[in-house]
Amino acid sequence: MKLYEYQVKELFVQAKIPVPNSYLIKSATEASKAFEVVGFPCVIKSQVLSGGRGKAGLIQFVTDEKKAFNEVVRLFSLPQRIPYLLIEEAVDIAQEVYASFTIDPASGQALSIVSATGGVDIETLAVNEPEKIIQTKIDMRIGLQPYQANHIAYECGFSVEVAKKFSQLLMKLYKLFVQRDCELLEINPLFITTSNELVAGDGKCSIDDNSMFRQSDITQPTDIVENEAARLANEEGIPFIQFDGDIGLMCAGAGLTTTVYDLIHYEGGSVANYLEFGGPNYKKAMKAMEICLQVESKVILIVTFGTIARADVMAEGIVDAIAKLKPNRPIVTCIRGTNEVEATEMLKKAGLTPLFDTEEAVRLAVSLAKG
Amino acid sequence: MSIFIDRTTKVLVQGITGSEGSFWTKHMIDLGTQVVCGVTPGKEGQVVEGLPVYHSVARALRKHDVEASMIFVPPKLTKDAVFEALASGIKKIVTMADGIPLFDMVAIRQAALEHDALVIGGNTSGVISPEEAMMGSFPHWIERVYKKGNIGVMTRSGSLTNEVTAMIVKEGYGVSTLIGVGGDPVPATRFAQMLPYFEQDDETEAVVIIGELGGTMEEEVADAMMQGIFTKPLVAFLGGRTAPKGQKMGHAGAIITGGKGSVEDKIEALTKAGALVAERPSKVGLLLEQLQVKKK
Repeated sequence: MKLYEYQVKELFVQAKIPVPNSYLIKSATEASKAFEVVGFPCVIKSQVLSGGRGKAGLIQFVTDEKKAFNEVVRLFSLPQRIPYLLIEEAVDIAQEVYASFTIDPASGQALSIVSATGGVDIETLAVNEPEKIIQTKIDMRIGLQPYQANHIAYECGFSVEVAKKFSQLLMKLYKLFVQRDCELLEINPLFITTSNELVAGDGKCSIDDNSMFRQSDITQPTDIVENEAARLANEEGIPFIQFDGDIGLMCAGAGLTTTVYDLIHYEGGSVANYLEFGGPNYKKAMKAMEICLQVESKVILIVTFGTIARADVMAEGIVDAIAKLKPNRPIVTCIRGTNEVEATEMLKKAGLTPLFDTEEAVRLAVSLAKG
Repeated sequence: MSIFIDRTTKVLVQGITGSEGSFWTKHMIDLGTQVVCGVTPGKEGQVVEGLPVYHSVARALRKHDVEASMIFVPPKLTKDAVFEALASGIKKIVTMADGIPLFDMVAIRQAALEHDALVIGGNTSGVISPEEAMMGSFPHWIERVYKKGNIGVMTRSGSLTNEVTAMIVKEGYGVSTLIGVGGDPVPATRFAQMLPYFEQDDETEAVVIIGELGGTMEEEVADAMMQGIFTKPLVAFLGGRTAPKGQKMGHAGAIITGGKGSVEDKIEALTKAGALVAERPSKVGLLLEQLQVKKK
């Protein structure tokens, strides 16, 4: 689960990592209170999960209340529906640094990535100036050691005063990374202020979905769900992503899904939504169909090749769902795997024409979508 | 000879009394796998599919010779189960659960490397040598997918594996051994570690890898080919060429991170190493023919 910047900063505060003063608002009516608390100049930061906020104009530096208020109104009225704005004090910056922890799958260790050239896209920096990046592997059984943090700090070229503060901050950040089961925990930029203080300017955190059972105090803000389909899927715990194409995709298994997604694009089609019909969801055909019908697609394409997720169970569910929900668009099925013969019979009885070849099913769906 | 498992491999099943455990134990035996006993704490004395159940792996090993352990326990209990098998000296382990916490997988991988053991998984269907033996959950009776042959298969996926393998069989080929390393971001064993086994295996004439965006496992395969560790023909199919950036469609492993792991990068690395990359599952068999792999 990806966290919003304001949530990451709440974690930083708990971990005693300094952040700028800020105030979170949900509507323009709260803006004057925020400006009173934070003061000017300040930065208005849209709380969205996508990167590149600065380039997209979603972060604005403002010096007076009139301009600030106009920006708040503008940002809240954007079509992409920004749920929150974080109003944050402007900091006097001497240097911007990058610091993050992630996992190195090949070595089975944690990986610290630090660069004294922060504030930029670290992926671009890794390609163009790899010598500016300090990578350190960490044995997770003993954790980040003080000598490692110390070495990294001096490799960055910091003064003794800043190096001491930085290595302490890195130790706190690692502790938080472990406590919160993070896939990624990042500060970028980490400000070094003109008075040699360290302040986390922005933070990214992605928590391992498989570990959420032990991070139950962190929840996705419930008022941010985009639409009815996403809300229903969220409620049922069914992985779902909406796109703006034509074909509603109900597919079982991650690998098969990405493959069918590719095939649809090769055939000149486009995807309206991805819905994971595999894993524990194979018994939830009714809900899955209901969610797919909430999306404005022209055809629903169902592709599976399951082992534990039995074909006959999925087919039975689909037949029931069609009888009850009476879908207003064509449905193409390509359901194979365990008990596929029984599945095919059920689908035929219900008046469908079950297909067995994925590419054939994709071509049919694309042509139906084009009308 | 198949790799990892054959008819002589004595297998213990951890979590044998659970619904998945007992169901797939039956199918493993039906295929010809030598399952000798099972373990479920608190259930010693029970019998599943004619096999005795013990409280712990160590108690089972007092009565049985065991070479491999098949683990059917829930994700939260997987780390402990793998550690138990490793501590008992078992060097071949398959663990299936989908949903193992990331840091548990990190610990499992590290322990596997230290014990010099092959731990396959998690989030996998397991390992199968068709018409021989299996550790995992494969519907081995579906002939158009699980036909014996000379193609080694390695995969990160489940249903996509069925899709691709069915296409290989359709072209007249069959499978020597199929290893599902699993769809997690930190699989306990990586593609490149299995290549030397396929290289040594007389039954395997070529290898098909079924990969996807994310991680660097496919690039490591390319490295192994460049270094001459693997010299047989290799065909890859990679899902996710058109996948939207930064969105997870299922596997947590299938996401581009740190600027690494795009399908373009993988295709470039593999092609440079002499592998052929199929654009669609239906092309895999044709590419094997192009590499002049015999049908047998």
